[in-house]
Amino acid sequence: MLKRPRCRSRPFACPACPAVCSFRLFWADYSCPPQSFDMKQYDNRAWLLVLPALVIVTFVGILPLIAVTNYSFLDLFSLNNPYWVGIEWYRNIVTTERFYSSLGRSFLFSAIVLSIQLPLGIWIALLLQRSHRFVVSTVLVLITIPLVVPWNMIPMIWLNFINPNVGLAGRILGWSGVGFDYKFNAPHTWIVLVVMDTWHWLGLVVVPSYAGISSIPPAYYQAAAIDGASRWHIFRFIQLPKMKTVLSMVLLLRFMDSFMIYIEAFRINAGGPNGATAFLSLDLGEEIQAFNYGPAAARSIVYFLIVMTVAWAFKAATGTRKPLAIEPVR
Amino acid sequence: MKSLPLTGRIIVFAVLGAFILVPLAQTIIISFVSTLPRDGIPEGHFSLVNYRNILHSPVLKEAILNSITYVLLNVALCLGVGLPAAYAFARYSFVGDRQLFFLLLVFRITPTVVLSLPIFVLFAQIGLVNTPVGIALVHCVFNIPISIWILEGFISAVPREFDETAFLDGHTLVSFFFRHLIPAVAPGIGVTAFFCFIFSWVEVVLARILTTTGGKPITMAINALFSFRTDVGLVMAMTVLALVPGIAMIYFVRNHLAKGFVIRT
Repeated sequence: MLKRPRCRSRPFACPACPAVCSFRLFWADYSCPPQSFDMKQYDNRAWLLVLPALVIVTFVGILPLIAVTNYSFLDLFSLNNPYWVGIEWYRNIVTTERFYSSLGRSFLFSAIVLSIQLPLGIWIALLLQRSHRFVVSTVLVLITIPLVVPWNMIPMIWLNFINPNVGLAGRILGWSGVGFDYKFNAPHTWIVLVVMDTWHWLGLVVVPSYAGISSIPPAYYQAAAIDGASRWHIFRFIQLPKMKTVLSMVLLLRFMDSFMIYIEAFRINAGGPNGATAFLSLDLGEEIQAFNYGPAAARSIVYFLIVMTVAWAFKAATGTRKPLAIEPVR
Repeated sequence: MKSLPLTGRIIVFAVLGAFILVPLAQTIIISFVSTLPRDGIPEGHFSLVNYRNILHSPVLKEAILNSITYVLLNVALCLGVGLPAAYAFARYSFVGDRQLFFLLLVFRITPTVVLSLPIFVLFAQIGLVNTPVGIALVHCVFNIPISIWILEGFISAVPREFDETAFLDGHTLVSFFFRHLIPAVAPGIGVTAFFCFIFSWVEVVLARILTTTGGKPITMAINALFSFRTDVGLVMAMTVLALVPGIAMIYFVRNHLAKGFVIRT
């Protein structure tokens, strides 16, 4: 099969294929009109420019991974006295019930979080698009604030907020008589985690979505109006395709971050009550803090493989998907 | 799907604003309240005592300094190595470029907790623990991919003739970078610095594991404040101070915030 050259055009420079060729660097398999192709200069000396970045990434990413792969086959009761145990740690992980229940809980958490945050964020972005400029910048700044809160302070802020004695939400809930108890009632812990995560990360959905929507030229809407397209059709065939590339990135980031939620979940209830919020990363954190180097190393490798799989699946899915825009408003 | 009327929109935004601000408001209020019994200040009343205590605590002041040091170092590193790499990705194709980009993506989404143990073991062996340099280096694992992404978008938006003209004028690659490219993508550098700053500032897992005895960042200094009789007011005052740089950064880039994403895509 002929290898397609890369598409260099960016959405606003290429009216012929809006929303089609955006992540041009590695999602290059989109069917793109020929005029938007532009072969980059082939020159392997470019490696020299990439080299410094690669050296640092190797040093803080690849080398540690190699080291930990080595550790994952050893019993390191003390670092000077390693003892080869083969795949025992891996076997321990994949044969225990605990791993699968944690995996299930992590998936469930990600599913809940994504199904709330993505639609909500897109909806807010759509509302913003028809708002005054001042409102837009105010809302965008407001919604970005939780993103800059250091991660270990987020649970602190929320624990304080829902504290039944001093917290505002805690006192209101106590006064209303719901019997809210995030410490011993598992569904309540889940609610706190989901609400907190939404508070923290909603901005990361809204800002890119808004950016995607606001890059649509007005001519599209005028054409849609002439065609008598409904609000739903405009959303489905103009706005959503235009947001698709940003959204797929957001989806990936939000999925990974919620799937491996650590410090926030740990601080709220340390995986309790009764392990009801023990996610994957909490198990790993526990082992690291107990200095079980061998098992923790094996677990790190298993989780890294999960990350690789997700990234690969994501790349495969976005790379082959045909564009949603069926050019209704060309 | 019907368009929401103006009043409806105002209500939605008001609810959203309240949802974002109310948990924070409580933190800010408590930071201005004396929460432990002290001479001369009634408990539970307004006072600046918490902020005064921070000023008088060398440990807390040092923590703030440590945080600022490693974040600035990290931003400088990421921009320094990210700019040439982004230029390479934007202008050239080379053997393994896609694979390299995928590798960067993988490291960006790898949760820090997964890398924390190997990094700790490695850095302990070469003596990079308990120093801001170690943290600045480690944060590159997710910040270098981000800086390359964002800068690559901005550089691609510059027409290639721009480079060619400069080279015809006799510029070398280095002088082209400093004289022409950096001024041309200055907004991109600003947006990149913002994201690197933010992600380095909020990260705690690696920052914690690399600072067991010294060089503690602000986030760890706050953790250390918890004890049998925690001064909640002091904790909240530190939290508020930890928010200040981030909010200042948001203020500076508020008009470019959305643009960073548009150009990136």
